[in-house]
Amino acid sequence: MAEAVTKKAPSNKATVTLTIDGRSVTVDKGTTVLEAARSLGIHVPTFCWHPKLKSVGSCRMCYVEIEKMPKLQVSCATEAMDGMVVATDSDLVKQGRRAVIEFILMNHPLDCPTCDQGGECQLQDLTFAHAIDDSRFAFQKERFVEDGSVSTFDDVQIGPEIMLNRNRCIQCYKCVRANKEAFGEFDLGAFERGNITEINAAPGRQVDNPFSGNLAEICPVGALTGMDWRYKIRVWLTKTVSSICPFTASGVNTLMYMDETKNRIYRTTSRRNDEIDDGWLSNVSRYAYQVVHADDRLLTPFIRRDGKQVEATWDEALDLIAKRLSDIQDQKGCVCIGGLVSPRLDNATLYGFNKLMRHVIGTNNVDYRTEYRMLPQTPEDHYQAACSQPIRISDVDDSDVIVVFGSDMLKEHPNLYLRIRKAFNFGAARIFILNPYSTKASDVAELEMVYHAGMDEVALGAVCLTAVEKGIVSSDETDRLREAIAFDSASAAALACGLEPDHLELMARAMAEARKVTFLAGEIISRSREREPIAAAICNLNRLFSINTKGQFGILPGHSNSRGAHHLGLAPDPPASIKAKLRSLWGQYPDTETNTTDSMMVQMRKEEIDGLIIMGANPVMLYPDRAFARESLEKLDFLVVSDLFETETTELADVVLPLSSWAEYTGDYVNLEGRVQTASKAIHPIGDSRPGYAIVEAIADRLENTLYTAEDYRRDEIDTMLEVDTACPVPNLYVPSKGGQDEDDAEYPIALMIGDDPHHRGHYTEKSASLTSHVGEAYLELSPDLAAGHEIKEGDSVRIESPVGKVVLPARISEHIRNDIVFVPRNFPSAPVTSLLMRKRRIDRVRISKVVR
Amino acid sequence: MLAEESIALIKEKAAKYPERKSAILPALTVAYRQVGHLNDELYSEISEIIRVPAVEIAEAATFYTMFPKHPVGKYLIQVCHNISCALLGADSLIGYLEEKLEIKKGETTSDNLFTLVTVECLGSCCTAPMMQINQDYYENLTRERVDEILEELRTRA
Ligand code: SF4
Ligand code: FES
Ligand code: FES
Repeated sequence: MAEAVTKKAPSNKATVTLTIDGRSVTVDKGTTVLEAARSLGIHVPTFCWHPKLKSVGSCRMCYVEIEKMPKLQVSCATEAMDGMVVATDSDLVKQGRRAVIEFILMNHPLDCPTCDQGGECQLQDLTFAHAIDDSRFAFQKERFVEDGSVSTFDDVQIGPEIMLNRNRCIQCYKCVRANKEAFGEFDLGAFERGNITEINAAPGRQVDNPFSGNLAEICPVGALTGMDWRYKIRVWLTKTVSSICPFTASGVNTLMYMDETKNRIYRTTSRRNDEIDDGWLSNVSRYAYQVVHADDRLLTPFIRRDGKQVEATWDEALDLIAKRLSDIQDQKGCVCIGGLVSPRLDNATLYGFNKLMRHVIGTNNVDYRTEYRMLPQTPEDHYQAACSQPIRISDVDDSDVIVVFGSDMLKEHPNLYLRIRKAFNFGAARIFILNPYSTKASDVAELEMVYHAGMDEVALGAVCLTAVEKGIVSSDETDRLREAIAFDSASAAALACGLEPDHLELMARAMAEARKVTFLAGEIISRSREREPIAAAICNLNRLFSINTKGQFGILPGHSNSRGAHHLGLAPDPPASIKAKLRSLWGQYPDTETNTTDSMMVQMRKEEIDGLIIMGANPVMLYPDRAFARESLEKLDFLVVSDLFETETTELADVVLPLSSWAEYTGDYVNLEGRVQTASKAIHPIGDSRPGYAIVEAIADRLENTLYTAEDYRRDEIDTMLEVDTACPVPNLYVPSKGGQDEDDAEYPIALMIGDDPHHRGHYTEKSASLTSHVGEAYLELSPDLAAGHEIKEGDSVRIESPVGKVVLPARISEHIRNDIVFVPRNFPSAPVTSLLMRKRRIDRVRISKVVR
Repeated sequence: MLAEESIALIKEKAAKYPERKSAILPALTVAYRQVGHLNDELYSEISEIIRVPAVEIAEAATFYTMFPKHPVGKYLIQVCHNISCALLGADSLIGYLEEKLEIKKGETTSDNLFTLVTVECLGSCCTAPMMQINQDYYENLTRERVDEILEELRTRA
């Protein structure tokens, strides 16, 4: 648990006025001369300055001349003052900068022709700009040499994806600073000093943190380069295309570097958007492009013939789909057909899918939440409300209290995780974390409160009750609160959750006194069978503390277009405002029964649903009950699955359609804030694959019901849908807690948490070589005590058994996890961990044992 | 391995600082005094005690040439080779020491008595050339002075 940290109050905004190159500018007090110049569009060269890091003034490249100051000043570390007169381009400044470059080049090898940074090296560019072709440092350059080699190629791989060349390093320290300040990682350091200063991995470690790819991107020279891009292509031979990360709900902005002649993407870098990502990419966002070029992409349609899937043409596949769907409709009606779609697909695909299912086929069996268990058929009012609240990522920055509830932020929303670190390091935020297991964000938390798995709404209810009992907030709802959590007092509830009553009080006071609160809940909540009571507890907390009037709250969506899926009406029973829009666009809206992923599966088993179309989703792998999902789909008469790859789900299909990835067509995505962003087409579709929207339109055509009579209509209809304000009203009901009400099976004493590894997200990412070079297989994360109790050592094979399944995984011992819980990532098809889960369970339980060879 | 007393001493020193990082140098000093040099294992031990990431401890330790990072002889001879000392003959003095001790700079004599290293300015430019042996400064050096000093240390050993 992190200890309390005292924070400075934010400074009040006074301004200063100064003159730069003869132009007057007024900036906030505390702004540097460099930033003041930039605000005028005056470019001052820099090496060590980074907009998102604290200034250190180590390179001296940003020299400016300031009247009345005797020497040149480093503009990045000089605060702008009233009345300053600054020159950024005087002869003295130019002379100073030339001297800096000459000095930096003292030890820098001039191996530009063979350096991978060539063409995008700031040192190369600034040397060129300052016309420096001579040096007074005539002596031998200081050299790092590996293994006695005399080459300047002192290349050392310091992490799965990072190559280091110490000779080229110019000691700007941006890499080490970003790693520590922005990412909170300590696997890289700057050692020694003077001529032999050296950047390197921390003793005995690898640079393999989930943000490590940024280090190569921000290195101004070729000292740190990315393994994925090295020596593959020169940067000036590539074209850049702006894109969006398809794996993060924040919709991190990216640039893809591609070669048109080869139809290939070579790397991804940030396309800095301060409102979303501050220019940082998690490794998942950075290396996702490799999924596109994985060598086992589906290249053609397949049709099942005599029990085997064989290659087919699109015409054959589409004809078969049309025929079989019409047959099912003729025999049993449209309610016998369903559709599941991935919330990672773009708006046109999602909307088209919805229109195909509801308007053309006429069914309400539509869902995009294929990873959540036991979604009820009745609308979840509180959950819907908490999921549709307005959230601004950048509002995290100046929040003075941030609460994270039921979310492993690093794994679910890496860029929000960085924002929270930033609010702590650069702002005045006090951070509280309330989770069933300890997470990586705990080091910036004033308090991390770990409650017993399955007690989510009781824990949050106890916070509310504490606030009321202690008079921190006034409310006449005390009894109802007590009733909802089924405890007489806050302290009794807290203790039942394994929490300290004092801690809850501290958090309650912080929230009550705060100027601006950000309250974020995540996937641990959404994946719970008891989403609705938990969401009700969140809504109560919001009301008691007026969070939405002085800040923001919500349950964050899990995927890159979950929010779009909600707006476009892909939920089985969308909110009334959305249904009304759809009805007016289509002239009708089906009045058939609505079914969720779970209830569709139940119906498949009863043979009440016979045909299913799945696009981009892999329920067999990710639905939290593998056997149930597989058996349900096996009952279908006709299954169409469209995906990038052969998956556990495509295996069962009668028709498999190759789907194009996000990089192969232009698509719009709605991020967790509701912001619509575009990922542009970078390359042509791989093989015979087609974009999702084209596939649903083709199916509709074959069913003799064209989706859009004119090309523009698609966009118009989507625009109409996105105009709707779909934030659901926050209900103020109490939903009785179901905390801890699962049967406690003595045979299976350990709670099992399943989620993403920090280097993976759902399925697909295991196809990225750079991501699997970080983490390439599943593991069992457990506490040192639990491990010792079973005589398990790091790396040992452990058998994990639940009442329904068994998997064997290597052990990973972590100080951060409690003794009564284990964690397993769900991202690896080779480790079918969802086979351990039962859909009806609130908390899955397992037992573990060491595999003795 | 840090001894019980060293661990206690580090804890005592660390308690004085509001910033945990401030305890890095005092802790390194304790470790150095006990072990005679520093290494990666000591950094991680210290890291656990003062709860500062090991890399930050390694960074501080390697920044300071005053901490040897390998086992050294009984007498650690640190000769300044910066500008003032260099102008007054540090290089030839280093050569002379190498000759007398029959080792190269960075090495230790076979009797484990002397280790010879060069360091940056020790702030004693006005008495250049100079060297530091363990905790003591030896200034205004000449070859004769060096002979005397080595002789004296040998007898003391
Ligand atoms: S490795 Fe690159 S980013 Fe790091 S200090 Fe050296 S030049 Fe700067
Ligand atoms: S950019 Fe100002 S000193 Fe480096
Ligand atoms: S240069 Fe040797 S002591 Fe200063």
